[in-house]
Amino acid sequence: MISLVDFMIVSAVLFCTGMFIIVSKKNSIQILIGIELMLNAAILNLVAFGKYDRINNGGQMFALFAIVLAAATTAVALAIILNVYKQYKTIDPDKIKQLKD
Amino acid sequence: MNILTLLIFTPVLFGLIILLLPSSMRASFKYITLLTTLLQLGFSIWMYLNFKTGEAYAGISHEEQFQFVQKLPWISLDLGGAGKMQIEYFVGIDGISVTLLVMTSLVMVIAAIASWEITSNLKGFFALFLLLDMAVVGVFCALDFFLFYTFYELMLLPLYFLIGMWGGARREYAAIKFFLYTLFGSVFMLLVMVGLYLSVKDPVTGNHTFNMIQMMNPKNYIDGSVFSVLSHQTILGMPARTVGFVVLFIAFAIKVPVVPLHTWLPDAHVEAPTPVSIILAGILLKIGGYGIIRICLGIFPDVAYSGAYWLGLLGVISILYGAFNALAQRDLKRMIAYSSVSHMGFVLLGIASQTAEGISGAVLQMVSHGFLSTMLFFLVGVIYNRVHDRDIYNFRGLGTLMPRYTVYVMVAFFASLGLPGFSAFVAEAFSLAGAFKSHNVNGLLPYWMAVCGAVGILLSAAYFLWTLQRMFFGTVSLKGGEIWKIALTDINWRETATLLPLALIALALGVMPSLVLGKINDSVLALVQFTQTVFQK
Amino acid sequence: MNKALPYQDIQTIYFAIAVVVLPFAAFVVNLLFFTKSKLSGWVSTLAILVSSILAVIIFTRVWNVQQIHVKYLWFIIGDNYLYTGILLNNLSVLMLGLVSVIALPVHIYSTAYMKDDAGYSRYFQYLSFFCFSMLAMVIMDSLILLYAFWELVGFSSYLLIGFWFDRANAVQANKKAFIINRIGDIGLLTAIIILFNQFHTFDIVRLFKEGGLIANSTIKNGLWISGNIQTPIIWQYIACIGIFLGVAAKSAQFPLHTWLPDAMEGPTSVSALIHAATMVAAGVFLLGRVYPLFNPAELTTLAVIGCFTAFMAATIALTQNDLKRILAYSTISQLGYMVMAMGIGAYATSLFHLVTHAFFKCLLFLAAGVVIHQIKHIKEDNNLDIDPQDIANMGGLRKKLPLTFITTLIGGLALIGLPLTSGYLSKEGILVQAFEWAEHKGSIYMLLPVLASITSWLTAFYVARLILKVFYGDMNLPTLHPGIKIHIGDGGWRYKLPLVLLSLCCLFPLFSFNPLLHTDSWLLYGFSSYKDYTENIFEIIVPVLVNVLSLAVMYYAYTIYIKQSRWVSSQTGLLYRISFNEWYIDKFYNRVVVKSVLILSDAVFWFDRKVIDGFVNLLEKTGVFIAGIASWFDRHIVDGILHLAATTVQAIGGFARRFQNGKVQYYLFSMLLAVIVVFILKILIWN
Repeated sequence: MISLVDFMIVSAVLFCTGMFIIVSKKNSIQILIGIELMLNAAILNLVAFGKYDRINNGGQMFALFAIVLAAATTAVALAIILNVYKQYKTIDPDKIKQLKD
Repeated sequence: MNILTLLIFTPVLFGLIILLLPSSMRASFKYITLLTTLLQLGFSIWMYLNFKTGEAYAGISHEEQFQFVQKLPWISLDLGGAGKMQIEYFVGIDGISVTLLVMTSLVMVIAAIASWEITSNLKGFFALFLLLDMAVVGVFCALDFFLFYTFYELMLLPLYFLIGMWGGARREYAAIKFFLYTLFGSVFMLLVMVGLYLSVKDPVTGNHTFNMIQMMNPKNYIDGSVFSVLSHQTILGMPARTVGFVVLFIAFAIKVPVVPLHTWLPDAHVEAPTPVSIILAGILLKIGGYGIIRICLGIFPDVAYSGAYWLGLLGVISILYGAFNALAQRDLKRMIAYSSVSHMGFVLLGIASQTAEGISGAVLQMVSHGFLSTMLFFLVGVIYNRVHDRDIYNFRGLGTLMPRYTVYVMVAFFASLGLPGFSAFVAEAFSLAGAFKSHNVNGLLPYWMAVCGAVGILLSAAYFLWTLQRMFFGTVSLKGGEIWKIALTDINWRETATLLPLALIALALGVMPSLVLGKINDSVLALVQFTQTVFQK
Repeated sequence: MNKALPYQDIQTIYFAIAVVVLPFAAFVVNLLFFTKSKLSGWVSTLAILVSSILAVIIFTRVWNVQQIHVKYLWFIIGDNYLYTGILLNNLSVLMLGLVSVIALPVHIYSTAYMKDDAGYSRYFQYLSFFCFSMLAMVIMDSLILLYAFWELVGFSSYLLIGFWFDRANAVQANKKAFIINRIGDIGLLTAIIILFNQFHTFDIVRLFKEGGLIANSTIKNGLWISGNIQTPIIWQYIACIGIFLGVAAKSAQFPLHTWLPDAMEGPTSVSALIHAATMVAAGVFLLGRVYPLFNPAELTTLAVIGCFTAFMAATIALTQNDLKRILAYSTISQLGYMVMAMGIGAYATSLFHLVTHAFFKCLLFLAAGVVIHQIKHIKEDNNLDIDPQDIANMGGLRKKLPLTFITTLIGGLALIGLPLTSGYLSKEGILVQAFEWAEHKGSIYMLLPVLASITSWLTAFYVARLILKVFYGDMNLPTLHPGIKIHIGDGGWRYKLPLVLLSLCCLFPLFSFNPLLHTDSWLLYGFSSYKDYTENIFEIIVPVLVNVLSLAVMYYAYTIYIKQSRWVSSQTGLLYRISFNEWYIDKFYNRVVVKSVLILSDAVFWFDRKVIDGFVNLLEKTGVFIAGIASWFDRHIVDGILHLAATTVQAIGGFARRFQNGKVQYYLFSMLLAVIVVFILKILIWN
């Protein structure tokens, strides 16, 4: 029987992996992937905790909503990255410093 | 419009005009300045002619006896519980100031003419010159201590720049020395002034006041205040009034100058351009003497009375010390500067005697020295402008090259050494007579001081005659050779026009001393009366 | 003006003013209009001519008739009213007449003597100015004005001595003359101030008349008392010393006599008028004015000094070679007689000698001027390098300059005091009274008249030497410089007339109809203090003895200089050297007095530079040093604290700034770190 704790462990691993990717990678795409991983860790948690709301299935519903939202943000983010690349010929976030104070 | 106010502020007005005019019109500045000084001379002569004499116009300690008075509230602050701060614009003259004012105006005209030699930064020079003019005239007119002090300090500023910017090689040193000396004196004067302010109450309004005439009345002093006659306050263990007197005396003694506070004078003179030398010797030194009479003697007569011996001693030392120093000089201007020290010693000696003869002699000596030193410095300027040298050893036989110049030099020298017929003789003789008489009249000065002072007259003959013989007589021999011989042309009409009136005035004052003495006599008598009665216990 | 005066007196006063003002007017006119013209000489001469005529008129009106005194208010100082006034009494009209009458021939002489000089007009300006001051001095009624003109006289003498101002000697001499006179002036001024303090007036009449202020002042218990003024007695002495200094300087008495021989650098006509006849007599005149001030002891001192001066100057005159210098020393010597006469109470005789001396000494100088002028001609004609005043270059001029010779002879005899001359009358008067005086005083005082008599013989010797060397024998120049041309003569009437006039005045008839008895002179009776001594033995012995010995001395001189049969003393002897070097007095003054004054002045200047200025500079340096410390403190301590604060803030800021590097990952990382830290802390603290 897969217990809630197992879900949480998977989710935590996912989250930590995503977090590590975000902090350490120098490629915006990879960072985006890290963000996605963290999102999925959250969604996994939502689904796992959804068992406490069996009447409205709020957890499932919110997970679906979050997936859609994540897809949308990813699309936007990719668009930004593409444009950034066009502008700066790089997608390394450290090198894009024009907005820096 | 009050004539004194007009007299004081005319130069500022024209000074502003000069500042506003574009530099392209710089050639006109000297004419504007000359016009100003002539205008001022006109005012002062009008005043001299309309000056009333008689016991009812003696002045000194009676406010209603001053003439051409103007009194306006100037700074009037309500300080709540501490009463009202009362500073007035209060000008007026009595016999002591009137002749000095005429002398000042005339010397200013001469100085303006001497300014023809100035070539650089004309706008600055003439603006400062006129500012200085205002300040010195103001000092002689002010009857409010605060106003007096303001003018007194205002004098320093233009002088510092005039010496420091248009002076000779060591001008910065001289300017700083001059500035520090005089500032040293006036800073402490400020303290005494404030002390006096806090000690004196105007009997009419009940406020503290800076009015100098009210400071001369012992009744106006608040009981227990620092300078009160009755309360015997002390400062650092010394009687407060003595300290006050000494501080004020030092401030003025620096101006006079009295040995040993004189060393700024030779340096300042040597470095200053001719017009500034003229103003320094002609007017500035007189402010010292005037201050001693008006303020030291007027406000602290009791201390002046008890300390007269020391004043007289300083006077005698100045006479002899200055004369010996003059004998040792080889720079013509420096020699004349030291002779000024010697001649101003007579002023101090005369004042210290506190006899009518002595004080009259002192005032006459101030007026006379005003004209004569002006003449002397102008004469040095003449030769310096031509060859830029004034070392006595570098010239010989100028009498052959510049006969008219030599005549004026002889007039100035002999007038200065006290030849009868010129003003200095009467002045010096009566300063000495007053000093001698003092022992029998008020017992202030011992007899020997007058005799020692007389030796100063002998020494002045020695250094002036030596210079004449060394520089002007004998066969022509110049350090600069033929070039100098060509450069040393005789004086031109502008210089003659300057020197001739001065020589004539010195002569007129010597033949008719009443020109001065007639105006000052009542005031002097009132002053003598005042110093010996009012503050005495 | 005093309205009570009768018309004639007012006229006399106007005359007196005119006498004084005319030369001044001439001075002004020459100064303004005739600076280049030869007319200036005649302007001055005309002025002095009118002056002298008026002076003689005044003399006849006032002499022994009355005293006229008017005064006007001059100025007020304090409560003293100063008057300027004119006092005409016997003394002043005598001097007035003397000065103007002597000045007249000198002016005439000068128009010729100075005619080739470039400064002709300047000369007459000065000369007129001198006459003005001298004439004004004698009639002034107030001490302060007397002093004023006294000094102006000295000033005009200064100008005239230094007339040739391009000559170094002349300007040295005039400086010396003025400064020595200044010493006297200071003394006189001090004396006047003392008198003013004592009596509160400068009025000569009030002070010195009989029963005047001086006469009423008393000396008691070491105090000098007049009215309620008491002064220590010492000041009475100092007043007398002061006046004596004045007299000594003007009248060239020891120790202030050294200027007079040097003053001969001026033109000879000036020497005649100023340095022989008039100005130098001013000292004696002053003594006459203030005579009542002196008490017997002071008068005795005066007599001693006068006598010593007479003797000393006579000894110096023995060996001098400069013609004018000899005459200058003889002037000093004669002035010594006058001062001595004043000292012994022979007031009238002293003034008598003043008058007679003025004439014969003026004459001698003018004659000397002719001689010098002629020698100078020879010098210029032949381009010789000789001193025209050296008597060694002269000799045998008797035939070339006959009139000059005769007049010099008359003058010389008057100077020696031989009978028939005016000099005899006055000099014997002095000697006789000196003997009488000494007889009264006691034995030691006998030295004085004896010394005076010796002086008289010395005078006879040097006058004889002078005349013999100049006029007798053979001229030395042609032997020294063979082939020179000598065209000389007495000169025109402008030379001759003054000489003749003056030599007439040197003879006895002008002063007394009895050529042998001095007491018959009219002049002596013009002065109240003249005491007619009873006839005594000295009246006969002294003149006879003195004159006989004088003649002997002159013969002795004749044997020396003309016959050359003997020689008095070797030219290297001690006495000779003392005499020749003028008793070393001048050298002493130069080496000791002048040097020490100069050293003192240098020392004072050193003191000024090093001590007073040093002190000021030390103050300045101390100030700068303190300021340096303050500035260091400011920079390192005060600023240090401030800087520390700033640096700390900066460090903290810099540290915080590192978090704001704009890298989103870094932000995230630090957030994570913070969360972790908080978490760990929370766990740790909670446990």
